[in-house]
Amino acid sequence: MASTATPPPPTPLSFPRPIFAALTPHPFLHAHLSASKQKQPLRANGRTAHESRQLGVNTGSLTHCNGSAVVRVGNTAVVCGVRAEILTAEEGTVDEFPASSNTNGGDEDEDEEENGYRNGAEDERERYKEISALRLLVPNVELCTGSTPALLPGNAPSAFAQTLVTRIRNLLLSTKVVGARQLRIVHAGPDASLGGDTGGPNPNREGDEVMREGGEGEGEMEIHERLVKGYWTLYIDTMFISLDGNALDAAWLAILSALSDTRLPHAYFDDELEMILCSDDAARAKKLELAGLPVPSTFAVFESDGRWGEDDDGDGEGEGEGKSWVLSDPDTFEESVCQESITVVVDCSTSTKAQIRKIEKSGGGVVDREVMKMLVKRSLERWKEWKKTLSTNSRAFF
Amino acid sequence: MAMNSDRRRINAPSGGTSAPVFARTVKEPGYIQSLRPTRTRGPDELRKIFLQTSIIPSASGSAYLEIPPSPPSSSPSPRTSLLAPPSSLKLTAALQGPKPLPRSSPFSPTLLLTTTVKFAPFATRTRRGYIRDAVERDLGVHLETALRGVVIGERWPKSGVEVVVTVLEGDEDGWWGEGGGGGQDGPGSGSGSGWGLLNVLAGCVTVASAAMADAGIDCVDLVSGGVAAVVRDADGKENGRGVMRVLDPCPAEHGHVVAACAVGYLAGRDEITTLWMKGDVGESYEALTDGATHAAAGSLSVLKEVLLEAVEANFKGQMGSQEGSKQKGKQQDVEMAG
Repeated sequence: MASTATPPPPTPLSFPRPIFAALTPHPFLHAHLSASKQKQPLRANGRTAHESRQLGVNTGSLTHCNGSAVVRVGNTAVVCGVRAEILTAEEGTVDEFPASSNTNGGDEDEDEEENGYRNGAEDERERYKEISALRLLVPNVELCTGSTPALLPGNAPSAFAQTLVTRIRNLLLSTKVVGARQLRIVHAGPDASLGGDTGGPNPNREGDEVMREGGEGEGEMEIHERLVKGYWTLYIDTMFISLDGNALDAAWLAILSALSDTRLPHAYFDDELEMILCSDDAARAKKLELAGLPVPSTFAVFESDGRWGEDDDGDGEGEGEGKSWVLSDPDTFEESVCQESITVVVDCSTSTKAQIRKIEKSGGGVVDREVMKMLVKRSLERWKEWKKTLSTNSRAFF
Repeated sequence: MAMNSDRRRINAPSGGTSAPVFARTVKEPGYIQSLRPTRTRGPDELRKIFLQTSIIPSASGSAYLEIPPSPPSSSPSPRTSLLAPPSSLKLTAALQGPKPLPRSSPFSPTLLLTTTVKFAPFATRTRRGYIRDAVERDLGVHLETALRGVVIGERWPKSGVEVVVTVLEGDEDGWWGEGGGGGQDGPGSGSGSGWGLLNVLAGCVTVASAAMADAGIDCVDLVSGGVAAVVRDADGKENGRGVMRVLDPCPAEHGHVVAACAVGYLAGRDEITTLWMKGDVGESYEALTDGATHAAAGSLSVLKEVLLEAVEANFKGQMGSQEGSKQKGKQQDVEMAG
């Protein structure tokens, strides 16, 4: 982690690195970045400005979760557990979303493949509304686990934690990675459920599975009105074990891998007991399908100040002033000295063309259109890294 | 629900949700019992302990402890039932400090120790909230008592240290359908619950002790946790005796736990810093305490080995690249001198 590779700055430091960093963080980072003229500028942590940290993912390690992941991004370590509980549909909630859930959404595939243009757009909107209005996705983040000295337990969530969780929730809802259809627990009407617990063959994307599961009643299935008896509510709890910057990317990676690891048990409405029961047969549990792979990449902009440039950087006359570096995947130290931060969310999985799903930018005016284009390019590279990590490390992604 | 009023977090649907109910557990009475794990190790045999120190770079000391269930893969690897098997105990401890107390706080001649034990929401069978509940506070107090007995507090006047233990996964209080999942009911809410908490406490003591050693806080000895219990097997077919004493009980494996005891034990000085005994102990409390100290001595051997390894690795690292390993240890020295 520590930079043994860093060439010594021109001016010899009169006190050790950690103290320099603690006393004057801004000149410290500036000295690093402007030290080597011939090569790529190196940061205090030994990375180049464009370099992100290694990703590590391990899924399915928690017992009481439907899906879980442990993620390491450099020194940031995150545990995410997805837990599914059942929200019983009451009178009011079912009536609110009848059209999208029962009739036209029923046997249409997700738009990513079939792309039914007839109802694609409004279906999407309905689906979004269903998830957000019923609050079916409940992401939460806990930072006060001793993960960083700044946040100590026993306090209410800090402004930072609240911002983080709101951003995550917005990202979950706006990118629509979890389709509402998979969360519905559908009752296929009295006829189809006669054959024991084959009850509600959920409108399934794999046609053959519907055939296998609801073998005897699939003819009627189309005719009978399906009733939404309940919803799976996904509690997405993210605990930071260790925090070293870039909390959003790490948390999102954990959430995404945990969601992709999630298996929902086969649930059906039992007419006899008049409640929703689940089959504990692991073979019948359904994997949660994610729509796309939106990947956020966070950057921080470090601006050199003319004042510091002259003071500490002996030979950095003139041209060091007003210079700025865009640092990929900033750590805590860099976040503390950088004002401007940009998060670009890209996704190349749904189609051949890459999509920009979201851009968030705050705190300064260094990044113009040209720089932003470059950042999007960098994000696309980061997307490839994510995809590689997720497909190799977690057993069930793609 | 308390969580519904929490405006700083994302809340669950307003109607509340219920955990899934599995059909076979409702319709087939003996089904749960047929899946119950059995104790395959001997009565004096502990579960394997995995311990690692220095997992959190930004903390002055940290450790991770995992105790997997006794037969690591008793069930065939692709699990056929979705009923969660007995979980392994997974704990992380982070230690922040010692750092100077804020100016506003009154003078303290010794180190102020603050301990927090927090369950992750997904730690137990029933989902937990984010706000600390009575059980967690109770565990925190027990842990503080255990650690206070070993720290040489006089060496750090006017400073405080924060020990945070996060329970990523806790031991259950019993198998499915009995005694709840260690959820909302407090430790004293009946004899049938709270057995898992003793294991959690013993784990907390061990992992916090490792974190203290990792941070280099002066202690009189290494404290370690251990649990012993008197159990009565539900079926009783394995052993005719019925009641027996076991070390490191996994409550899910035993039909009925009669009494249990957790200690924080200093093996070098043969002292107990904390003791938590529950249930119908009867005459055998000395035997139970002895058993718990034996279990603690067992976990101490792991603790010692891990710490020695960590010291060795650290020493090698220092020899290799002086700049690299200097960062963490030196920073605290400077802070304390000031």
